[in-house]
Amino acid sequence: MPGKKRKADTKMWGSPSTSSSSSRRKGSSSRRGGGGSSSGAYGGASASGINEGKAERMFAELCEEDNPDAANMEGICKLCEQLDLDPLEDVRVLVLLWKLGANKKPAEIQKGEWIAGCHKLKLDSVDKFKKLLPSLDTGFMDREEFGDFYKFCFQFNRAGTHKTLEKDLVVALLKMCLTGGRISSHRLDTFCEFLETTNDPSYSKITLDQWRSFLDFSYEYPDAKALNGYDEGMSAWPVLIDEYVEFMEKSENRKK
Amino acid sequence: SIYLLADQYRACSLADLSFNFHFEHGQQPSTTKMNIIQLEDGWNNVIKKGAIDVLEKTLDDGFDTSFEPREYIRIYTTCYDMCTQRSPYNWSRDLYTRHGETIETYLRNTVLPALQDKTGQGGTILLNELKHRWSNHQIMNKWLKKFFTFLDRYYVKHHSLPTLEQAGLGHFKTEIYQNSKENTTTAIISLIDEEREGEIIDKTLVKSIVELYESMGMGSLDSYTNDLEQPLLDATRAYYGRKREDWITKDSTPDYLIKAEKALGEEKTRVVEYLNPATEPKIRRVVEDEILQKVQMNLLEKEGSGCSVLLANDKTEDLQRMFQLFSRLDSGLQPMANIVEKFITSQGNACIEKRQARLDSGEKDKNDDPEFVKSLIDLQEKYLGVIRETFASHHLFQKALKNSFEEIVNNDVGQYSNAELMSTFCDRILKSGGDKLSETEVEQSLDRIVQLFSFLNDKDLFAEIYRNQLAKRLLNQRSASDDAEKAMIAKLKVQCGTQFTSKMEGMLNDLAVGSEQKSEFDRRMEQQDTNLSFGVQVLTTGNWPSYKAPEVALSPQMSKCMDVFKEWHDAKHQNRRLTWVHSLGNATVRATYGKKSYDLQVTTLQAVVLNVFNEGKTYGFTDLKSKLNLDDITLKPLMHSLSCGKHKVITKSPANNKITSTDSFSPNAKFSCNMRKIRIPVASVESSHNKNRVEEDRSVAIEAAIVRIMKARKTLSHQQLVAEVLSQLAFFKPQPRVIKKRIEALIDREYLERSSENSQQYNYLA
Repeated sequence: MPGKKRKADTKMWGSPSTSSSSSRRKGSSSRRGGGGSSSGAYGGASASGINEGKAERMFAELCEEDNPDAANMEGICKLCEQLDLDPLEDVRVLVLLWKLGANKKPAEIQKGEWIAGCHKLKLDSVDKFKKLLPSLDTGFMDREEFGDFYKFCFQFNRAGTHKTLEKDLVVALLKMCLTGGRISSHRLDTFCEFLETTNDPSYSKITLDQWRSFLDFSYEYPDAKALNGYDEGMSAWPVLIDEYVEFMEKSENRKK
Repeated sequence: SIYLLADQYRACSLADLSFNFHFEHGQQPSTTKMNIIQLEDGWNNVIKKGAIDVLEKTLDDGFDTSFEPREYIRIYTTCYDMCTQRSPYNWSRDLYTRHGETIETYLRNTVLPALQDKTGQGGTILLNELKHRWSNHQIMNKWLKKFFTFLDRYYVKHHSLPTLEQAGLGHFKTEIYQNSKENTTTAIISLIDEEREGEIIDKTLVKSIVELYESMGMGSLDSYTNDLEQPLLDATRAYYGRKREDWITKDSTPDYLIKAEKALGEEKTRVVEYLNPATEPKIRRVVEDEILQKVQMNLLEKEGSGCSVLLANDKTEDLQRMFQLFSRLDSGLQPMANIVEKFITSQGNACIEKRQARLDSGEKDKNDDPEFVKSLIDLQEKYLGVIRETFASHHLFQKALKNSFEEIVNNDVGQYSNAELMSTFCDRILKSGGDKLSETEVEQSLDRIVQLFSFLNDKDLFAEIYRNQLAKRLLNQRSASDDAEKAMIAKLKVQCGTQFTSKMEGMLNDLAVGSEQKSEFDRRMEQQDTNLSFGVQVLTTGNWPSYKAPEVALSPQMSKCMDVFKEWHDAKHQNRRLTWVHSLGNATVRATYGKKSYDLQVTTLQAVVLNVFNEGKTYGFTDLKSKLNLDDITLKPLMHSLSCGKHKVITKSPANNKITSTDSFSPNAKFSCNMRKIRIPVASVESSHNKNRVEEDRSVAIEAAIVRIMKARKTLSHQQLVAEVLSQLAFFKPQPRVIKKRIEALIDREYLERSSENSQQYNYLA
């Protein structure tokens, strides 16, 4: 959920409603009850220690009107309101969805995934969700975990059955997940600059392969000095990366 | 023969013999029991007095040494007796020793002083003396061996001692040779240097001395090698080093090489004339090293006379000499081949620059530049000849030619690629009304263009263009000779294989089949009640370029003909689907203007248009469009050809040269022409080839190669994969980035994945 308000985003979320995704749905949350405080009214504690009924009720607030088995971006935004998170700017929203296991389809979380995720994370109330928030910082993840999360970011943000992401969305997403020292900010900034300035029509959409390669590339070539050793002839990095390196070389020469 | 006699007699009774001889010489006849010869007696009285002193005297006097047969036998027998007497009277050891001492003494006391005497008097004198003394020694050695020969038979063998001959030689070596070898060597070397400077020397003398050295090795060549050969090689090196320094500054490369060739020849002859054959390769290498190897680059690159200058001036003989001389050196030809490659490349680039200059000066950039193509062909022809004759078709030079032409031929300037220019060149030769050439000239030209073609990277582009041009020739009956077409295709097939030419062959085949079936269909047409003569050419879709097939509204007469054909065809071939391509095809229209009739030779579509005007009505452009069901792109050129060209059979209003949608057209009542048969050409809209098709085919070919390779190898590094792909693609050479993009596309389609262990490695996904 990136920062800028764009027409593409609204299309991507596939929301049947006409209101923009950034608006808060103050009205609707009061329409349905539940959420909030604990109550043992439905079902007891399960093996993981949560009250599955409560988790189910939470989900019921979020799921689509005509489909109780899945919650789309509308529902997710509702959850964000409850948790006081900005879905457009806060990476923790994606981290949460990833941890819950919203893998099957982009831009939605299914009921089964939700329930399993709640069990795994021991969540059955808004409070518990809120208590979880600090642990959703990407800084806590090791390389392997982060790699997995990073892939999820791409996959989750696709539109329907498309296999690629629009370039603008990619830039926003990269900035969202990679700031904070995971990779050098110079690498991140210059790459985003490169993407934004290139006119090559084949890069208007970015593939998963290119997305993942960028991260691995940034690990292997963390700074400007490292780029000097880059050998296009030997490298299997995608052409996008080759052209990025070329772009960097050109701007270096211009500086001189 | 008396010596032989003596031996023979020994077989019977030496006792008898000695008896007789002793008797004749006034000695006491011996009884059957022989008299014992005492050592000193025998030695001094017989051997020394009779043999050794005599021998020495004749040597000193310079007379031929000979012994009377009786005398010889006497001495021989004495020795024999002294060696065969029973102990303690067996004097073998003493005789052996004294043999050695005699020689030794003679050498020391007589020979050596004589030599030393001559040492200060100049090389030749010393050498002559040595030769004389050596010759003498050989004589002495021979005679002494004869006399003492019995020692060799038993004593020497029994005691494993040097033979008499060896002992003699050994003494000569120790007493004479070791003392004089240095001076002798020096003398020989200065003679050789004199000869090198052009003086005449006594070769026989030198040869004799060389034989001395050889003998001093006593079975091996060591003395010769160490005492003469090595100093000679050093001196040779010094000599030619000086010569080189002298020549290299003063002489041009060709002149230098002439001198070098001469020197090498002389040294070779020298060895034959008076040195040991083993020296030949060694001396050759020294000379080659000094006068060729050390200045190779200097000679090749010399300003004004180096290799590239010689090439520029077609100095065949000088280049041949250079080639032959440098082929003697290890990797001596590579630098020369490099220069040849550079030179040919620069010649090729000059042709390209000429073309560029013509284009820059305003000449129209067309897909036809016979001047340029011919210049490349001539260049190739010239240097093929040069490599054959001057460089003996050596593989390094063939490679140089190949490398340089690969660079030249793939250097495109202007809008049209060289592939296209070359294909058009073929078109000129193969089409009727093109260049007028005899059959052999055609064959030759095609051969040459195919050779040039072999250097092209974008062979697939050439094929695409060639096919399009071939199709045009065939469909418009503009092919000069069916045999020539076949010959060209055969040549391409030899170069590139069957797959490359299959479509071309298919095209020719379609026409051949068509003409076979033509007469059959003609008979069917005769049965129809139409006054149109009608013929159909069936083309197999895959073989031919893709053509637009506009669904033009035809006149009923035409439609009927087509139906007849379709019926006939479908009866013959059940599994085929026919699509009529009216954008091709020709027609002859009988047009009657007033009293005069004309036969207009036009395309099918033009004929359809003309037919509309049969009733004399006027039609607007847009009306025609809908009536005929044609689009602007097709209709405009048609109307232009009929109303704005040379023969305006249709009148256009307004009367200008541009067709617009507001124009209106009617038959030109005032049309007239002197000729009866009039051809009305239409501007062709088709481009020479479909660029996209070539690109698409390439993408497919690259991906197919990648999948094939990865399937076989399972896992490969990026570099390896790219290298394999390039080696498998015969007809074009894609850039590495292009290959990479195809790899990424295949990753996306999950044929491959990046290895999780190594980011530079790919795995095949089954």
